[in-house]
Amino acid sequence: MIRFCLAVYRRLARAFPHEFQIVYGADVVQLGEDAIEDIAKMHGVFGLVRLLADLAWRVPVEYFSEIRQDLIYALRVLAKSPGVAVAAVLSLGLGIGVPAVGFSEINALLLRDMPGAKDPKQLLATEHSTSYVHFERYHDHRELFSGVTAYIGSLPFKFEHERVFGHLVSPEYFEVIGFHLAADGVVISERFWREHLNSAPDAVGRSVRLNGHLVTISGVAPKDFLGATPVAPADIFVPISMQAELVPELGNNALRRSDLKVFSVLMRLQPGATAKSANAAADTIARQLDGEGFEADRKKGQQVRLLPGGGAMPRPPELLPIIFGFMGTLMALILGISCTNLANLLLAKAAARRKEIAIRLAVGASRFRLIRQLLTESVLLALGGGVAGFLFAWWLTSAATTMYHKFPTPMPIDLDVRPDWTVFAFTFALAVIAGVGFGLAPALAATKTDFGPALKEGAVTQLRGYRRFGLRNLLMVYQVSGSLMLLIITGFIVLGFSNISKSIALFDSANLYLLSIDPVRDGYSPNQTAQLFEKLRERLQGIPAVESVAFTDVPPGNVFAMGTTVFTVPAAGSEPAKIVKSVKRDVAGANYFRTLRVKVTAGREFSARDEEGASIAVQPAILSEVAAAAMFGSADPIGRRVVNENDSFEVVGVVPNIQGETMGVKPPPAVFVPLTKGAYTKPPSGGMTLMVRAAAPGGDAINEIRHEISGIDPNLSVFNVRTMNEYLDQGNTLMRWTSMVYGGFGIFGLILASVGLAGVTAYSVAQRRQEIGIRMALGARPGQVLRLVMKEGATLVMVGSVVGFLGAWAIGRLLSALSPEMAEALSAKQPLLMIGAPVLLAALAMLACYFPARRSTGIDPVRALRQE
Amino acid sequence: MAKSDPQAFLPLKTNWFHVLLSLSGQEQHGYGIMNEVLERSGGKIRLWPATLYGTLKRLIDVELIEESDDRPAAEFDDARRRYYRLTKLGRRVLDAESERLEDLVGILRKRRLEAL
Repeated sequence: MIRFCLAVYRRLARAFPHEFQIVYGADVVQLGEDAIEDIAKMHGVFGLVRLLADLAWRVPVEYFSEIRQDLIYALRVLAKSPGVAVAAVLSLGLGIGVPAVGFSEINALLLRDMPGAKDPKQLLATEHSTSYVHFERYHDHRELFSGVTAYIGSLPFKFEHERVFGHLVSPEYFEVIGFHLAADGVVISERFWREHLNSAPDAVGRSVRLNGHLVTISGVAPKDFLGATPVAPADIFVPISMQAELVPELGNNALRRSDLKVFSVLMRLQPGATAKSANAAADTIARQLDGEGFEADRKKGQQVRLLPGGGAMPRPPELLPIIFGFMGTLMALILGISCTNLANLLLAKAAARRKEIAIRLAVGASRFRLIRQLLTESVLLALGGGVAGFLFAWWLTSAATTMYHKFPTPMPIDLDVRPDWTVFAFTFALAVIAGVGFGLAPALAATKTDFGPALKEGAVTQLRGYRRFGLRNLLMVYQVSGSLMLLIITGFIVLGFSNISKSIALFDSANLYLLSIDPVRDGYSPNQTAQLFEKLRERLQGIPAVESVAFTDVPPGNVFAMGTTVFTVPAAGSEPAKIVKSVKRDVAGANYFRTLRVKVTAGREFSARDEEGASIAVQPAILSEVAAAAMFGSADPIGRRVVNENDSFEVVGVVPNIQGETMGVKPPPAVFVPLTKGAYTKPPSGGMTLMVRAAAPGGDAINEIRHEISGIDPNLSVFNVRTMNEYLDQGNTLMRWTSMVYGGFGIFGLILASVGLAGVTAYSVAQRRQEIGIRMALGARPGQVLRLVMKEGATLVMVGSVVGFLGAWAIGRLLSALSPEMAEALSAKQPLLMIGAPVLLAALAMLACYFPARRSTGIDPVRALRQE
Repeated sequence: MAKSDPQAFLPLKTNWFHVLLSLSGQEQHGYGIMNEVLERSGGKIRLWPATLYGTLKRLIDVELIEESDDRPAAEFDDARRRYYRLTKLGRRVLDAESERLEDLVGILRKRRLEAL
C-alpha cells in the first residue's frame, strides 16, 4: 500500500512545471519518501490519501502561479509600448468584431431555437404553404408524427382598436410546440399581455372585440413565445374554429379545399421516426391529393419538402454551407489580414527583443517557457481585441436590429441580431485562436535565436538581399493579396447595391402618397366593404388637390420583389404552348399606371369596370415589357390569352418595366391583374393601399383624404400613411446599410495593408541602416537608395496583387458555381472594380512604402557606420 | 518584487507563520520544518510536502527566507537536503506578526476579564 502510494506520489511530482521541478522536484520526492511511514502510522489510509491529494492540488496551483507571472510580465511589456498595444487592440478589435457581427447575424437567423419550444430539433415544417386538407392527412400519420398543426400567419387582427399581428391556428398548435394551453378562445403572447394589457391579472376570461366581433381571451402564452416563426412574431393566436366572417382568411371554404394552399404546417416527429421517412410520407400524400396535371413543372421532382422547423424560421439545409462558405471566406480574410498585420508588428518587436530573449535562454529558461511567455503577450493583446470586437459587434448589431424593425415589410419583423452567449463564446474562441495564430510564428522565430551573436553588441546587423522569402515577406504578400480580395468582393457588393437603390423605382415618385385601410378587419361585411370602396373612389376623385387615385394591395418598389408563379401561353395557330416561369403577379386597381405617371406602351390600362371581377367574362391582364418579350417575343400580345393556375386572362395592355435591373439581374417579368371587388374582402396583411397623386407638393391632399375617410366612417382605421419616397427610402435602408458595412470592410482591409506595409518598410530601413550608410559613403545618390528600398516594397505589392487577383477570381467562380443568381450578377462586367481595385491598392501601398523609405535617404553615412 | 515594509505582509498566512516560526531558532530543511510544526501543534497541523515546498518557494520569492550555505555539524548534516533560514526582513515580519497576535490575545483576555 505504502509502496503503491509512493509510486503514484513520484509520478505526480513529475507533473510540476519545469522551473518548480528543477528547484524543488527532488526535495518534494525526498520529503514524501521520508515522511510517508510516519504519516501512514499517524493518520492511516486517510493520511496517504491526503498526501496525494495535497500533491495533486499543488500541481495546478504552481502552473497557475507561473501563468500569473507571465501575465504580470506581459502586462508590463505591453505597458512599455502603449502605442503598439492600442493599435493592436483596435485593429484586432475590428478583425474579431467583424466576424462576430457576421456570426451574430447567422446565429439569429439560422442557429437560434424557437423560444418556448420543447425539443425544437424534433420539429419539421413544410417548405411551402399547403392546404388544410393536406394537413389533415399528415395529421393521420401517427406512426411518424406525434403531433401536427396548421396555421396561417402572421396576419393582422384588429384587437379592440389596435392592429395586432398573430396566427390563425389549428387546435393542436400549442401542444405540438410543447406546452399545454386551452385553445377554445383567443390566446395572447406574454409580451402583448405585458405591454398592451398592463399585465392585468384578470385578462384571461375577458371579452374583447376581435375584427369587430366579441371573443374571449382564453390564455396567455409562456414568456418569450412569439409563435412558430419568431422572425415574423405573432402576439395573438386565434383558433380556426372562429366563424368565417370574423376572419377573412377562413372565407372561401378554406378548410375544405385542397387547392387553397394558405396554411403553414408544423410537425413534431415521433421518437425514432426519421425526417426522411416523414418527408416521403408527406410527398405521397401531396401526390395523391394534387392529382396529375397540377403544377406541371413541379410534378417531376419532389412535391413536398420538410425543413427543420424549430428555429427562427424554417431553414433549407442546403443554405447553410453557402452562407457559412461565403461569410467564412470573408471573415477569414478580415481576421487573417488583421492577424498578419500584428504578426508583422510582433516580428519586428521580437527582433528588437532578441537580446532579452537570448539572455533568458542563456540563464536556463526553457524554450517552451519563453514561447509561452511570448504567447501570453499575444493572447493578452488578442483578448483585449476580443473585448473591443465584442463591443463593436454589440454596437453594430444593435443598430442593425433597430433598422430591421423599421423595415417596411407588410408584417412586423422581429430579428434580434444582437449577440447572445453563443456569439460571446465564438468571439472568445476567435480571440484565443487569433492570439495563438499571430503570436506563434513570431514566438517560434524569436526563440530560435542562436544566442551567441545576439549577445555580441553590433553583430545584430546582417546584410541580406531583398529577394528573400522570409516569414515577414510571406506575411506581407498574404496581407496585400487578402486585402485585394476583400476589396474586390466588398466592392462588388457595394456597387451592386448602389445600383439597386437607383433602379428600384422607374416611375415618378414625387408628390405620391400612400395610406392603408383594412375595412374587413374593422368588422365590415364583404358587401359593406365593396360599397365602401365604391364610395371612396367617388369622393376622392372629387377632391381638387388630388390628381388621381388608385388602389393596390402592395405598393410598387419592393426591393425583394421576385417572380414566384408560372404562366402558360396556350398554343395559338402554329405556335406551341409556352411556359414562362418566375413571373411576378401584381394586383393593380383602376388608374394604377396613370397615378404612377407611367405611360402605357400598347393597349390600355385597367378602368373601374375591370374591377367588377367575376361578372366580366374574361379577366383582363397587363404585361410588363419584359413579360411581353418572354411570352410573345416580338409578336403583338394584345388580345392574346395567358393562364395562371386556374385563371385565364386576356392581355389588354403593355407597360414599361417599373422595376429596374438589380445587381446585374434583370427584373422578373410582371403580369398585372385587376384588383377585383372580391379582393377587397381578402386584403393582404398590409391592408389595402391607396396611392394618391397630389396635384401640388405638400400634405394637403393626404389631409383632405383622411378627412373624407373619417367623414364616411370615423371608426375606420387609417394606417401606414407616408409618401412614396419615404416608403422607397425605408426599403433602401437595408441596401444602404449593407453597402456601408461592406464598404467599411473593404476600407478596413486597405488601411491595414497600408499600415502593415509601411511598418515592414520602416523596419527594413532600420535594419539596413549600415548597409545604406556604406552605399552612400561609396557614392550612392539618395534617389538610388530610395529606389533600392522601394523596390522591395514594390515586389511585395506586385506579387500580392497577382495572388489576390487570382484569389478573387477563384472565389467568384466558386460563388457562381453555388448559385445561378450570383453567376448572372458576377458575369455583369465590372471593369471599374477589377482594374480599379488593384490600382487603388497598389497606389496606396506604394505611398505607404514611400514615407518610411524616404527616411533612408536621410541616413548620415558617418553616423550609421560609427555604430559598427 | 520584494516589499521592504513588514506591515505589508500582515496578517500572515497560517502556513507562512508556521514556517517562519520554525526557522526563527535555527536553519532547517523541509523535513525538519514539517516535524517541528507537527510537534509544536501537538500533531494538529501538518504541512503536507507539496504545500510546504510551494510555501517555501513563495517565501523565497518575496525574500522572507533564503537558502542557507552554512551546514550544521557534520554528524547532523544530510548532504542531500537544502537548508533554509530567515532573512532580516523575514525576522522583522515574524516579529511584527507575533506582536499583532499578542495584541489580539491581549484584547481577548481583557474582554474575558471584563465579562467576569
